[in-house]
Amino acid sequence: MLIFTLRRLSLFIFTILLLTLLSFSLSFLFPGDQLINLTGQLNASPEQLAILANDYNQQFGLLSQYFSYLNHLFHGEMGYSMNSQLPIATEVLNRLPATIELTCVALLVAMFFGIPIGFCAAIYHRKLPDNLILTVAMLGYSIPVFWLGILAILVFSIQLGWLPSAGQISLLFEIEPVTGLQLIDILLSDNEYKWQAFQDATRHLILPVIVVALAPATIFMRLARTAMLEVLDTHYIKAAKAKGLTFSQIIYRHAMRNAFIKVIRDVGLQFANLITIAMVTEVIFSWPGIGRWLIESIYQRDYTAIQGGLIVLSTFIFIVHIIIDFVYAALNPLAREPHHGAR
Amino acid sequence: MNLIDIRNLSIELKTASKPIFAVDRVNLTMKEGEVRGLVGESGSGKSLLAQAIVGVLDEKWRVDADRFHWRGNDLMRLSPAERKAIITKDVAMIFQEPMACLDPTTSIGEQLEEAVDAEQLTGFFWQKRQQRKQAAINLLHKVGIKQHEVCVKSFPHQLTDALCQRVMIAMALARRPMLLIADEPTAAMESTNQGQIFRLLASLNQLKNMSILLISHDLENVTHWTNTITVMYSGQFVEAGTTEQIFNQPYHPYTRALVDSSPRANRMIPNKSRLMTLPGSIPILQHLPIGCRLGPRCPRAQQKCVHAPKIKNFHSHQVSCHFPLKDSYS
Repeated sequence: MLIFTLRRLSLFIFTILLLTLLSFSLSFLFPGDQLINLTGQLNASPEQLAILANDYNQQFGLLSQYFSYLNHLFHGEMGYSMNSQLPIATEVLNRLPATIELTCVALLVAMFFGIPIGFCAAIYHRKLPDNLILTVAMLGYSIPVFWLGILAILVFSIQLGWLPSAGQISLLFEIEPVTGLQLIDILLSDNEYKWQAFQDATRHLILPVIVVALAPATIFMRLARTAMLEVLDTHYIKAAKAKGLTFSQIIYRHAMRNAFIKVIRDVGLQFANLITIAMVTEVIFSWPGIGRWLIESIYQRDYTAIQGGLIVLSTFIFIVHIIIDFVYAALNPLAREPHHGAR
Repeated sequence: MNLIDIRNLSIELKTASKPIFAVDRVNLTMKEGEVRGLVGESGSGKSLLAQAIVGVLDEKWRVDADRFHWRGNDLMRLSPAERKAIITKDVAMIFQEPMACLDPTTSIGEQLEEAVDAEQLTGFFWQKRQQRKQAAINLLHKVGIKQHEVCVKSFPHQLTDALCQRVMIAMALARRPMLLIADEPTAAMESTNQGQIFRLLASLNQLKNMSILLISHDLENVTHWTNTITVMYSGQFVEAGTTEQIFNQPYHPYTRALVDSSPRANRMIPNKSRLMTLPGSIPILQHLPIGCRLGPRCPRAQQKCVHAPKIKNFHSHQVSCHFPLKDSYS
């Protein structure tokens, strides 16, 4: 298990190094002066620029410049946004929690619904439920997100008026940010309208979460279905049948865990996809997350923000990947120890 | 009384065009306490037959029989659920590739515990849990695994193939079966381990009077451990009799060829001479010959062989051939 952890950690470090290399090279590739792209200081006087150039080792070679960039990154200095002239780090810290909240809830919802439904389809293989689920999965997967989002707003917030259409929480409530994650902050606060606020925040969360979760949920359905079919075809299921276990015992005790292990590997891969969907959804639902901010920065040619947002979002995706890897190892005894010769 | 009595059991593979008889009217009878070998080339339907008896074939196969008696009970008249209840209570099966037959993510102990019959336990549920654990450990002792603490905690991939097969046998013993079907239990195992597994099965047969149906493709190996042998070829019944009859005086040309194809110490074979083999190979399921399926390969085949032969009985030595080799001995 220690070796497993060390392997994941080294993978993490090298991937992050490559990412910083990409982001550093972006400052050269974007139009304009490289130093200004890197720092975002559009209105700096020549004296200030000279100080900055010294700060970023501009008089030395590229390698030294890269290391000074890394040094700045480690201290949390990602330059200033070209639009707002606020530090990127503060901007990101203000917005990232909202995205984390949205994507994590959406991922959980997608797994919670997608995987059991997929198992169901496999159990009723080639019968009516299976065909029905496959059709729904195909439909759900092919609907474009922005269209679905706008449609959801049109139906549920405008026509029916059930759910709010924009924002994270009603402006009536004032919540002290502690962790940044709104739902947790509400529960931590000692406001007397705490529960109303919690209800309101949940109501705001429902529509965007459904829109984000739909496509991944359908993918999980199909993955879970194939995984379950594969497992049901194995020798150990046949042996369990010969042992005299009932069908439900076989499903609950043996098939589900093995199928879940197969699915969980792909959940990490789907998470990057989910983030992309979440970025679009944030724009539609005016969700104050990092995705909307990044898309706006792209519109406004805010090169510093693009570099910073890229690093932060990719790191987030990677951390989730590693967490899922650990869940996989916890469930699968085969993954925990190194094989002789293999891997 | 016969333990199991099967007459004319057929297994059909349902295909788009016409059904294929993978197993064609096979007979099998076993007495209590008997060790019977079921021998045939790979692809001769031995495993199918065994899986049909236990009832673990999936939906693409259809099983049909004229008679399927279990200890005098006619199983064909019962509903599938009742049949399953009787069979799982009294018949256990172990498979080839034991490691693939154990759930890779569940520990050996848990898998053993769930195999323990709930009827053997008494008391409240917390007492039952303890009893289950004890029962699992006892089962491991029965199959000769002394380090039960290590074994119970480990996962299948941490054990060797032979140990996994022992665990499989332990699970099979959990319900105290009257018949154990062993489907090539020692395939891909070293000969020392093979010997251990066979000795274990033989001792179970002698101590607990458990009948064993031993499926194998290796006629020679089976003869040491069995009382009686049934030979199959390409899904058809070939010959059945006591081990001595089959091995010393085979009546069917196919059995004769099988016996001749294995070198033996007591037979003089000139140096570098070829062993006796039949020409050709076993037919594939799509192109099965009509009548006796050995026909195209048989050295004694004549025109009559396009009709399936009736089973002839010579002093409980049954053979399914128009021209048995009966007269060549004597």
